[in-house]
Amino acid sequence: MSQGRAGKINYRCPNCLFRDIDFDLLYDKEENQYYCRRCNWEGMEEEILFQYAAYKRKYKDMLKRYTVEDILAKDEE
Amino acid sequence: MDKFILNVIHRPELVPEYIDTSAQEGQTEEVSKKEVVSESLDIFRLQQNIAHQNGLRTTIQMTYSSLFNDECIEMAKQYHQEFGDEIGHTFLGLNCKEFRDKYHSKELAMWLFPMDLKQKIVVDSFELFKDVFGFYPTSTGSYFLDAELINFIKEKYPMIKTAIATCFEEGPKIFRHTNSSWYTLMDGSPWTAWIPSKKNTHAIAENEDDDIGIVALPHLSRDLLAIMDNAGDMFGTHPQNIIRGLIYEDDRLPYMYNLVDQYQVMKKFNKGFSYNLAYVGPGWMGKGGRWEAPYRILKKSYEDFIAYYGHLKSEGKIQDMTMTEFADWFRGNQPRSGPLVGLWKDLLYGTKNQAFWYADSKFRVQIDLKQGGAITDLRPYASKLTRPCGAGTKANQDASYPYIVHSRYRAGAFTHYAGEGAIKSCKVRHGAEEVDVSACRTTGAYDEGEGCRILNIRPVEIEFANLTIKLATTYTFKENTGEILISRKFIESSDPNAKIEIDEFLASCWGTTEYPEDLTGCVLSVIEKDGSRNELSYEYRCREYAADNIQSVEAVIPHVQTKVSLIPQSPKCGGYYEEGYSFAPNLKLGVVKTIGLNEELVTCLKVEQAK
Repeated sequence: MSQGRAGKINYRCPNCLFRDIDFDLLYDKEENQYYCRRCNWEGMEEEILFQYAAYKRKYKDMLKRYTVEDILAKDEE
Repeated sequence: MDKFILNVIHRPELVPEYIDTSAQEGQTEEVSKKEVVSESLDIFRLQQNIAHQNGLRTTIQMTYSSLFNDECIEMAKQYHQEFGDEIGHTFLGLNCKEFRDKYHSKELAMWLFPMDLKQKIVVDSFELFKDVFGFYPTSTGSYFLDAELINFIKEKYPMIKTAIATCFEEGPKIFRHTNSSWYTLMDGSPWTAWIPSKKNTHAIAENEDDDIGIVALPHLSRDLLAIMDNAGDMFGTHPQNIIRGLIYEDDRLPYMYNLVDQYQVMKKFNKGFSYNLAYVGPGWMGKGGRWEAPYRILKKSYEDFIAYYGHLKSEGKIQDMTMTEFADWFRGNQPRSGPLVGLWKDLLYGTKNQAFWYADSKFRVQIDLKQGGAITDLRPYASKLTRPCGAGTKANQDASYPYIVHSRYRAGAFTHYAGEGAIKSCKVRHGAEEVDVSACRTTGAYDEGEGCRILNIRPVEIEFANLTIKLATTYTFKENTGEILISRKFIESSDPNAKIEIDEFLASCWGTTEYPEDLTGCVLSVIEKDGSRNELSYEYRCREYAADNIQSVEAVIPHVQTKVSLIPQSPKCGGYYEEGYSFAPNLKLGVVKTIGLNEELVTCLKVEQAK
């Protein structure tokens, strides 16, 4: 088995991301699999993207635009 | 005043921390590779073009390596001539072949060199700048500059007017976020421009004698709520940091506009003034992408971000300045000792959470409205701690200004069987029942008075088994006195004859990280009305003392040269201290009073330098 390398896209470990650690995944071309050297996460690209989407769910207003007026209105609530 | 001022800063960092791939696995290390230098200059050129296309001037911070690059020097001169950009200086980007040949060091952090080398680098770098441009810079910066180094710079190069002197709340949270590899341990500064003390960069100057002589700027303007429990490197005026936090979908990042707009709102709390600093290093816009984000999104996010500032400028809502222009403006228009104030609203998590921040020459205070308006972070600037950092110092990498309360690092509200950790809150008792107000979610409203700033906390409802009451809280910050008046008023009751007991308490410790520091030798005192004093020296023996009618309770924390007191302003109050023990390493002070409907307890929290 040859060494792990950076994948075409430099994904971070989703498991580490959830505990607020940025840690790059390595790619195993023979297994077509990403894996983390820090924790025990391994998986396919689809699993990474699925967990990224789950990570973003905490940002409920991620795509909401708050203008100055909206923010000032919060003061009056 | 109606002034929202912007500094856009670009640095031609020819061997950027993130873009230099030569040290990646499987390749030998070789700094100053031609392709890296070329890409870095392309990014610098692109950033400059984006700013100019949007009608914004920049400050070009020349790095050590860029002072050896003729193309870069020529570009800087042309930008200065054509657009009026400032040619400034930075201690970021030191690492290059010339530097390593001269200093035989791979250290990249200016604030972490031994002092003799720091001084040598200052002189070397500033003289090189002068040789190249024919004048000395008037602005400089780093991720952090301790007061000892700024004092040296001012003595040797008095023309320096401003510096990026810290990264706001880059401390243990960011250290963890970077897999414990990014040594920017520098919590505890103001979040916006300030004039530092000669004794400590984080602390705001007391007066003219204490004025270090520069206007300090924080590296980036950050989300004052998101950073409380998260690494700040995802929540600032830096689009690629926002991408790092995955706060985007494809190329949509509305949060970056929300951040800017909330900084516009900050004018309301600062007599019409607010400030933004946009500062994206070239490593964040490399052609190879950054983590998952492709170059297309990195580039577009910066274009959109700067375009928004340009739009605000065209509407007369923001004024772009160079760093030195801003320093001159700040000197002429802002008080030396603050205060700086922010009432920040959540714009990201979909909550009504708010955080109130206050800083002047005596302290920096964070109040978490979600925790009933408890003080959850308190930095005693009054002590003006001498705390140099870098090799050869006691602190070395730990450049933070110590806290005396930090609820997230040190437990805060009751979280385990040893009771509460570090927090300034209040308990309400009725019969055998007790409620900590930090369990009551609320929001706040800002007000001002003569020589004071006021946070009115919306009343909270507290339910006991057979009684429901409402309690109103007001914080009055008496500017630059180290005093906060805290009023707790019993305003509604299901039983008009009911009495409640208020326990206004402070659970304190000191430190800069999540880990406990030694409290041995702290002195706790209860001073009674007749002047008698009961005191003990802290030995982790769980001792306590209470009296019925007190003048004040106080603690001296010699490790951070700080004295903190609770002084009742209402008559006939009890008070106590509690020593703590090794599994609950805090000290606790409290003022206690029983009150009826429409009565209040007013307590002064005072922070001062311990003699």
